[in-house]
Amino acid sequence: MLYHPTLKFTVFALGLLGLGGIAQAQDAVNLRMTIWSANEAHLKLFNDIAAGFKKEHPNVTVAYESLPFDTYTTALTTQIAGGNAPDMAWIFETSAYDFVKSGALYPLTDTLKAAKGYNLEEVSAGATERWTQDGALYAYPFSTSPFAMFVNNDVIKAAGAKTPAEMIASGDWTWENAIATASAVGKSGKGGLVVRDFNYQNWQYLTSVWNGWGASPWSEEGKTCSMADKPMADALSFIHDAIFTKKAMPGPGEMVDFFAGDAAMTITQISRASLLPKDKPFSWDLVPLPKGPAGEYALIGQAGIGVMQSGKNAKTAAEFVAYMTNPENSAKLSQFFPSARKSLLNAEVLKKTNPLLSQEQIEKVVINGIATGKVMPGHSGFAQIQQMVRSNLDAIWRPQADVPGTLQNICGQIGPLLKR
Amino acid sequence: MAVAHQHHETPKAGTPPPFWTIARRDSLAGFLFIAPQLIGIITFVLVPLGLVFWYSLHEWNVLANTFTFTGSQNYRMVLEDTNLLEVLGATTIFSVGLVVLNLSLALLLAVLLNQKLAGIAVFRALFFSPVVVSLVAWTIVWGFLLQKNGGINGMLLMVGIEGPNWLREDVTAMISVIVVQVFKNVGLNMILFLAALQGVPKELYEAARIDGAPAFKQFRRITLPLISPTILLTSIITIVGSLQVFAQIAVLTQGGPGLSTTVLVYYLYQQAFQFDYFGYGSTLSILLFVIVAVLTFAQWQMRKRIVFYEN
Amino acid sequence: MKTDLSPRLRVALYGLMCVLLIPFVFPTWWMVTSSIKPISDIFAFPPQLIPQNYDWTTYSKVFELQPFVQQYWNSAYIAAVVTIGTMVVSSMAGYAFARIRFPYADTIFMIVLLGLLIPSEVTIVPLFQMFLKAGMVNTHWPLILVPIFGAPSVFVTFVMRQFFVTLPAELEEAARVDGLGRFKIFRKIALPLAKPALASVAIFTFLHSWNLFLEPIVFLSSADKFTLPQALTQYTDAYGGPMWNIQLAAATLTALPVLIVFIIAQKQFVEGLAHTGLKG
Repeated sequence: MLYHPTLKFTVFALGLLGLGGIAQAQDAVNLRMTIWSANEAHLKLFNDIAAGFKKEHPNVTVAYESLPFDTYTTALTTQIAGGNAPDMAWIFETSAYDFVKSGALYPLTDTLKAAKGYNLEEVSAGATERWTQDGALYAYPFSTSPFAMFVNNDVIKAAGAKTPAEMIASGDWTWENAIATASAVGKSGKGGLVVRDFNYQNWQYLTSVWNGWGASPWSEEGKTCSMADKPMADALSFIHDAIFTKKAMPGPGEMVDFFAGDAAMTITQISRASLLPKDKPFSWDLVPLPKGPAGEYALIGQAGIGVMQSGKNAKTAAEFVAYMTNPENSAKLSQFFPSARKSLLNAEVLKKTNPLLSQEQIEKVVINGIATGKVMPGHSGFAQIQQMVRSNLDAIWRPQADVPGTLQNICGQIGPLLKR
Repeated sequence: MAVAHQHHETPKAGTPPPFWTIARRDSLAGFLFIAPQLIGIITFVLVPLGLVFWYSLHEWNVLANTFTFTGSQNYRMVLEDTNLLEVLGATTIFSVGLVVLNLSLALLLAVLLNQKLAGIAVFRALFFSPVVVSLVAWTIVWGFLLQKNGGINGMLLMVGIEGPNWLREDVTAMISVIVVQVFKNVGLNMILFLAALQGVPKELYEAARIDGAPAFKQFRRITLPLISPTILLTSIITIVGSLQVFAQIAVLTQGGPGLSTTVLVYYLYQQAFQFDYFGYGSTLSILLFVIVAVLTFAQWQMRKRIVFYEN
Repeated sequence: MKTDLSPRLRVALYGLMCVLLIPFVFPTWWMVTSSIKPISDIFAFPPQLIPQNYDWTTYSKVFELQPFVQQYWNSAYIAAVVTIGTMVVSSMAGYAFARIRFPYADTIFMIVLLGLLIPSEVTIVPLFQMFLKAGMVNTHWPLILVPIFGAPSVFVTFVMRQFFVTLPAELEEAARVDGLGRFKIFRKIALPLAKPALASVAIFTFLHSWNLFLEPIVFLSSADKFTLPQALTQYTDAYGGPMWNIQLAAATLTALPVLIVFIIAQKQFVEGLAHTGLKG
């Protein structure tokens, strides 16, 4: 519990018992992990892993609790506020800083290193950076999924435009040309390019575009706003132009679903390949993100598993996380959640788990993406910053807009929050 | 209000008066009758409200597990919060718009549905039907329909009008959330008005007609005064309800564009549950409670002036 | 106003009502028809009023993906228990406030009315903590106890009080002379007369419980305990994207039975309300 002294004391006392008493090891332990997937195939795999753990630890039972994706972090913090924190929780990369810095998580490094055959060293430092504080890993990034461009060649050819594959072959796969193709399709009545999940609200997904300009919402260490800097202003002006002048991207309030065959291209994580239609298939392709004025780039989205410090079985929970993410289980997980383990980052392994992708796609998009990609931006207090930027950006999402002025405004508002 | 008149059981000479007089027995019975409700209100309303007030005096960081007494700091933040003015403005527009539209539409429908027409029962059921559709489903469907390339604009296009981007422009976004909420719940008020209309004695209209009063005059002079208590009741319920509208905003506009549809309840939800400022969120809860209480009290006070009683 | 209408006026009234009906009926129509459309047709522009391709598998998927029958039962039994419980608690309280003279009655009535004024978002965190301490999180108890005894029942108490106030005093006088106690008077005389009023507030109460959204989301965490509105939001693909057609099929299944019951019972409902004394 949070602040009730008696309960806090009880938890403390139980913690002491847990350290001192071996007898307790025989007691039944029920662990609960909150997740944002309710997918059957995912749950089946997770339950298999839990069953495997139970073979070694007969007294431990793991249950998964699916919370709705949209309100996941809110629901999780509500549980914590009510004193009902789960033992383990999935954490979005955007809210990673909040969790890691707050002290709410149990440090995992020792447990992971102690686990047999775990080989934590093969997980790259770039992948664990966001989840680490003062040398200790507070959540394990079990999913490292690159963003890429899905392409509907049928729609593009029908509009008489150049396909990304053709542009890649001729070496001019740039944002300028990508938008030209999208614009041609957009004017033909279909949707052009969709940045999936953006919906004019979740602006952080635009990172997949503006990284091509070398733009970022705030400085590396997170203290100063860089939204008003030239790269960001250029990138957003480009996007604004693509939406309102070139009609290359669906405007606000226009619903276009790439996977229903209604758009030329979409930027999303490669795991969404499973959404490609099976009954009315179209000729699709998967290509890396186009080159921007600042050169080639890649972007990855991450998800971590953390153990809540407040749970009375934190140690056991950490052991379960070690089991769930050991090399063997990571290989199983990687069919849905690409792993950052080097031993799993080869075309052979990935081909097995991503049967829809070709050898070339895997090498160019997945392996290269994970190796070179930057992680989506995040910050402590992200929810509030996100909301503040979102409500101000609305001023940009109309035909006549003052992009630089709006960005100045945003920096004025989020500046104080960033410094905190 | 109480009609329990004292009975005159004069004690017989010589015997002392019994302890359990009718009045005492009634008092006991009264307390027993209201006990479940009163205990429930104390447990599920007053105690939680007290706790919310207690939270409002603290800075509560859920993740870092800290709960620090800060006194009136959160209340000072209310005064300094630059967004709050805009939020209260949006709340006022939303509530006023909702109440006016809801009550006038409900009254219009009730009058229409009070006519003796064949198949009127079917119409009543259809107008009421949104009330029984799950709020979430209703809002999701409207969310589809109000998209730029959604159903509403599709229908407008058929008659040659290019519709606006409903949920993306300040004014139309506000209109949209109001209208969606009105269509969802106007059926309840409509039924209440219908019931009230059916309670108006028909003889009064007969008399008015003999005097040659035209229909609208009958409505203004007879109907409105007689159903004014219902108007008061429905307006209180609707105002209180309008200040609690949350899911619709969350699904349709998420408070945007800008802050134009961020009403107080949504704002406090954001502060408490999304930004994890439970202390400040609690302070806004107290603010909301005070606003609702003051409004209701004012309406209740005004009832004597605007409500016509038969006796 | 209730007069025999001229034929021309009749036609005009029917026309007006039909136009007014569009925004009330169209969304429901769209929901029902879209539930059997393939997902790409849901996004079609201009929208299809009548589905061109049918996909009935959405309805079987509703039951495959979640324990939907169990969730249906949860919603139904909770709403039934809440309705019966509220009727008992609120009719007793309403009766006492209307007809029994006891100390502080007016003050207590005002305190009870406070319940009308508090949005559930305001008290949800402390309530959650209280139920957690009572070991009732992830059970149906919060969804049953709070509506019966807490804020949602206050409206019903208020309506019942308004009804009992209008009962003629002579009925009770006679019973008292016959030596009946308070409870017997309530049970044998007042309550039977209140049947129409009870019937109409029962519908309000049932609908309120049936549509409850925030509370189940906060209090319940396992799928077999979910109620319907909450279950609706759980039809999502692996990445949280909603499976629109299945969601709409489930929404249709939750709305239709209640709609049918209302169409059958609407006459009693309206007349019952007319008797409640809500007019005064």
